[in-house]
Amino acid sequence: MSAFNLNEDQQDCLQELINVAMGQASDQLARYLDTFVDLRVPSIEQVDASSLSITLNDKTLASAIVSQGFFGYEGIRGEALLVYQSQDSLQIADLLGYEPGELSEEEQLIDISSILTTTFLNVFASQIDNQMSYSAPRLLSASQNPLVEHVENLLFHWDLALKVKITYRVTDFSFNCDMILLIPESAISNIKSVLDRILEEF
Amino acid sequence: MSSSVLICDDSNLARKQVLRSLPEQWQVDIKTASNGREALTLLRDNSVDVLFLDLTMPDIDGVGVLQGIQKLNLDTAVFVISADIQPEMQNKVMLLGAKAFLRKPVNAEVLTSNLQQHGYI
Repeated sequence: MSAFNLNEDQQDCLQELINVAMGQASDQLARYLDTFVDLRVPSIEQVDASSLSITLNDKTLASAIVSQGFFGYEGIRGEALLVYQSQDSLQIADLLGYEPGELSEEEQLIDISSILTTTFLNVFASQIDNQMSYSAPRLLSASQNPLVEHVENLLFHWDLALKVKITYRVTDFSFNCDMILLIPESAISNIKSVLDRILEEF
Repeated sequence: MSSSVLICDDSNLARKQVLRSLPEQWQVDIKTASNGREALTLLRDNSVDVLFLDLTMPDIDGVGVLQGIQKLNLDTAVFVISADIQPEMQNKVMLLGAKAFLRKPVNAEVLTSNLQQHGYI
């Protein structure tokens, strides 16, 4: 595992790139919902597949997840998971101000997730002179333990992943959404060389 | 007479980005802090003319530092440099006495023109 660990400078650099991306994603969310999003320092950790399932397992009960793959140049790719608690997904219709029946709850979740994921990753990519393309977002609705199964499928080829967890807290509506970026081992080494390139400039 | 400058950001890279964006001709004595608590201690014990301040930090964040500056009644000029660009946050820091709000990643030209506008260079 140690061969893939980010050193202190790389971790700091990645954190700052993520901060900037998170700030702009939150701004979009705030404008979209006409509210304020409370930002916290995101957490970045390296996890192996088995412990990731366990970490995610805690908060999967009755939650909805929107999952979207991303692919950039230079072998940078991964999967973004937007994780909602059940009480949060009920708030979404209110937040978005949709008329009843206009869009299903599922479509609303996909809408909001897509805004967060693409804004975040587009800003992240632009900072490293990269460009992302995306797969269609998939909703894993609140049946039993969809997240664990889904992650297990994703991680089928991954022993290690970089887990970036960002919490968007919309204060007016007590609504939380966790964005978890899973980046596979092969892409981590590509990200490391990009980080080193940025660090060399300083 | 050189100005006393403090750069407060939890990211080493972000501190370097600010440092590198400062105008060359500006005579400054620079200190850095990696969190709000450290910044407040330095601000209290030294006379700091200009503070470049991040907002999203663990422990005491940028808003906490601005409130601390008001409580300590310091006349340090604060330029907020943050990724949290929401209009509500920008208004909040301006109401707490910040001179300007600059978005991250900081740009040397924008920083210089803000310093000029407020008469620091």
